Amino acid sequence: MSYLKRRELLQRSLMAAAGSTAFGLLPAKLALAQSTLTGGTLLRGSLNYKALVCIYLYGGNDSINMVIPRDTAGYDAYRLRRQGNALPGDASNLAVPLASLLPLNPSQGPVNGGQYGLHPAMTGVKAMFDAGRCAVVANVGTLVRPTTKAMFELPGTLLPPELFSHSDQSVLWQTPASDVSARTGWGGRLADIYRLENPNQVLSMNVSLAGDNVFQSGRLVAPYFMNSQGVEQIDAIQTAQANCMPTGEWNRRRCLTFRALQNLGATATPGHAFERAYVEKTQRSISTAAQVASAIILHPANDVKFRPFWDAFGLTWTANSTNLPALPELARQLLMVARVIASRETLDMRRQLFFAGIGGFDTHDDQNANHPALLRDLSQSVSAFYQVLTTLDAAESVTSFTASDFNRTITNNGDGTDHGWGSHQLVFGARVNGNRIYGRMPSLAPRASNPDEVGYGQIVPTLSTDQYAHTLAKWYGYVQPNVEPIFYNLQYMDNTGGILSIPGPDLGFMQPA
Amino acid sequence: MKFARTWLYSIVLAFAANASFAQLPSDLIFKSGMDHPLEGPFTPEEAARFLQQATFGPKLADIELLTRIGYNAWFDQQFAATRSEHLPFIDGLLLGGDTNVFQGARIESWWRNVLGGNDQLRQRMAFSLSQIFVVSDQSGALEGLPTSLAHYYDMLSRNAFGSYRTLLSEATLHPSMGRYLSMHKNRKPDAVLNIQPDQNYAREIMQLFSIGLVRLNTDGTRMLSAGQPIPTYNTDTIRGFAHVFTGWNYSTCVTPTGPNQTWHWDWCGTRAQADPESQDYRLHRGWREPMRPFGEGSVYEAVYHSSVEGPMASPTGAKQLLIYPGVSPANGVLPSGGTARANMNIALDNVANHPNVGPFISRLLIQRFVTSSPSPAYIGRVASIFNNNGAGVRGDLRAVVRAILMDTEARRPTAVNRGKLREPLLRLSQLYRAFDAASRVPDRFNEYTDYWMAQAPLSSPTVFNYYLPNYQLPGEITTLGLFSPEFQITTDTYITRIVNEMGGKVFWQFQGNASLPPVNQWNPTLVNINRDLSFANNAEVLVSRYSLLMMGGTMSTAMSNLLVAHVRDMPNNNDEDRRRRVQDVLWLIMNSPEYVVEK
Repeated sequence: MSYLKRRELLQRSLMAAAGSTAFGLLPAKLALAQSTLTGGTLLRGSLNYKALVCIYLYGGNDSINMVIPRDTAGYDAYRLRRQGNALPGDASNLAVPLASLLPLNPSQGPVNGGQYGLHPAMTGVKAMFDAGRCAVVANVGTLVRPTTKAMFELPGTLLPPELFSHSDQSVLWQTPASDVSARTGWGGRLADIYRLENPNQVLSMNVSLAGDNVFQSGRLVAPYFMNSQGVEQIDAIQTAQANCMPTGEWNRRRCLTFRALQNLGATATPGHAFERAYVEKTQRSISTAAQVASAIILHPANDVKFRPFWDAFGLTWTANSTNLPALPELARQLLMVARVIASRETLDMRRQLFFAGIGGFDTHDDQNANHPALLRDLSQSVSAFYQVLTTLDAAESVTSFTASDFNRTITNNGDGTDHGWGSHQLVFGARVNGNRIYGRMPSLAPRASNPDEVGYGQIVPTLSTDQYAHTLAKWYGYVQPNVEPIFYNLQYMDNTGGILSIPGPDLGFMQPA
Repeated sequence: MKFARTWLYSIVLAFAANASFAQLPSDLIFKSGMDHPLEGPFTPEEAARFLQQATFGPKLADIELLTRIGYNAWFDQQFAATRSEHLPFIDGLLLGGDTNVFQGARIESWWRNVLGGNDQLRQRMAFSLSQIFVVSDQSGALEGLPTSLAHYYDMLSRNAFGSYRTLLSEATLHPSMGRYLSMHKNRKPDAVLNIQPDQNYAREIMQLFSIGLVRLNTDGTRMLSAGQPIPTYNTDTIRGFAHVFTGWNYSTCVTPTGPNQTWHWDWCGTRAQADPESQDYRLHRGWREPMRPFGEGSVYEAVYHSSVEGPMASPTGAKQLLIYPGVSPANGVLPSGGTARANMNIALDNVANHPNVGPFISRLLIQRFVTSSPSPAYIGRVASIFNNNGAGVRGDLRAVVRAILMDTEARRPTAVNRGKLREPLLRLSQLYRAFDAASRVPDRFNEYTDYWMAQAPLSSPTVFNYYLPNYQLPGEITTLGLFSPEFQITTDTYITRIVNEMGGKVFWQFQGNASLPPVNQWNPTLVNINRDLSFANNAEVLVSRYSLLMMGGTMSTAMSNLLVAHVRDMPNNNDEDRRRRVQDVLWLIMNSPEYVVEK
């Protein structure tokens, strides 16, 4: 496979689009036009590369069992709530043993003190935290206004809708504000602004490894879905080639009729909105697939620079093997993200947003059996990913962060936990102010005396998702304007009542851009 | 009868001259004993279009039959048809000594019934219900249990033409559902053990299986109070139901005979005492019988069922259930006390009688059968039938499905953006049925559709199904206020994979292809491409036939012209030439925008 120069690659893919009868149908969002959204002049190609990677944990990660108190008073309270009178071996004993915790010794701990440790499965994260590449952001959650327990119990307090409902909270975590379940996410809104920054106007700057998500949905930009196995192209017609010139005559004729039918669906009047949408998706899929495939083939999965993924899980890696052991799900996704990042110059991208996600965190049942493996997948995948990024000279340009529907309840239901609220998140990258715990860790005292607990085991957040997201967006380069700000509730996340553990729009966990 | 139909035709024409069909109230359909002007179908195309909605895809013979006997007789036949089941087939494999019986076998059974069962409407209803009352093998609890899931699906098909209230109860108490949404072994509060009742099932039974999150009018539109939607329940309600949903365990549990025998509860197995210890776990009765209150009838029931414990401050032990006009119990408050089963029945009555159920369930079913964006009027007509089938019965699913399919918006739609994006599974089933698909190993249909189309029966990624009913694709669809659930799985990856897989099935996996590997190496389902060679020499006939079979005759003239021109360009000298014509037309149709959107 000959090395494709960036220019040549762009020309080929644009030719493919141009040769297609659907070129004229490329939606406006991909057209080469100046945007009025930015309110400024972004010179294309003028910025240095940056990427955000959202690692979404579907179901509500039990971060109480991820970042665990290890000082005597803290652990006793934790153990009392999570173990109670259960015997060590019982399924209803959800407390992680103190001796097994990976101790964190941050240069800056939570504002209310206390010592913490990570779940024993998370050796990779521990190493990153110690090296200053990972920070814990404590007790973040969906908030419309800073809220106390007392306020929560008063009618009329502005609260996020459908608290503790998966579908709603996972949407709210991905939107710029928690007062209404929007259809666009803050990553999509960033992409709306930055999309023209990329010389490459074919590939969406939002790439998802985990399918559809609100985070990457903008008003103008929709994400490009890849999967961890790569990019696939349509057989039978090889439509990516200009003028339908594949190898066989049968294929060429089929290709032409296929395209004609696509064109019919796109242009018939009145036609059907669904047909137009289907054509648009198909066309974009075709041209993007060709482009991305040509780029990532230069960085195959068995290249030695991706070896850290196998090492992180203790799996055997052999050079030039076409049969490497299967990686866990998140590792597979982040490996593909790494390959796309490795291709950033070939693809001529300056700004990208990635979305990866794994499920299984809704541990109502069998939490002890299921949760540790998930934490391991998360921890080792991210630490391998970071190692690879340093090899790619991209560690300073890429910041990864976790998000999840909610925390779990402090209480347990017999062998698992239910839906909680405020939760602890992890951010990773060379530009993260690591080895710190930002914010305030909640009390795990018994319910009757717990000032942070509402309902039956849910913790009121002391940082909002707006603040968390804006801190990341600000590092990305975003400056919140007065008109149509992305994070429109951020103005309320201030020091009113001294409720938030860190007031204001910037939580401080990112070094200056 | 034939004379009566001819007489009816003239009445219909008279009607058509004076009034639009759309103005005829659809409740005229259900007046018994009276033939009705909307009796049809009047053309094979109408019949084919109906069968796309009501079955897993028409065969030519099905179209001919329906055209001949009419809708009413067709419904009668369908309601009377023998029910296809899954569990006997799977049990047969196990009892015959086959140990490799897992979810693949269950899915094989699904295809076997979909392709060969005559009870197409019932199976379509069961499939639709499986996307509402979701359980899935994508769960650690259920992935090894093909028999339990098969039994669950059989339960859905058994209730497909029955009562919603019965369906609600049987789904709630099914061990698969109990494990999937953690009602199984849910227990009452225990301060010492720091346990509160699990809220999982309480949430989902309301949010997904019955009423949704906000109050609805009968036509499905949201009720508003001071301009804001009205929630149907709050956290108190959830806690109330969570407390009711306690104390249930497998049917095979042994009632303790003395105190402190918690291990009976914790370690209750699914094997019945009477069955041998060596019995394969997949045959265990606990997985195929409704759950029972643990220690039912004994003092032990109250150890786990939250009879006199409740989340309300006052009165103690009471549980807040749903509140709505005319609600029972009074104010939606379940008094303290009562057995697990009695409290369960009251709670399920409380849910099933909520005025939201009609519009909520009707809309979901309309989306599965007919269109993604039904008008409020359509929803209202169907919901009214749910509320009262005409004979004073609430929740009659037979009447509901009939109302959905016979509504003017289903039979004579006028909206420009009508219909829906075809579910990938239904596209495949349609191909297979239309082309007499068969397996070289009888009854064994190896299909692993999840990989390439993001859909497989009872295999949804979460309890929220493959796609959300309110999903709106960003862009024109959102701007127009349309809903497009199936677009949620129509991603770049799956578009490409579906096109490629359909290519494989059409160009390669056909009966009589001598180049296929031996069946013991690979056993794909094979379509009968060679069947239509006799008229493949005639481009117009070929295209017109496939428009009927695959698109209910809705293919546009422009599309037909393109396909005819394409076929005419292809040689026509021998059978192989003609086979290639059939394959090209079929592949081009199945991957065309016009086909993919069912109208």
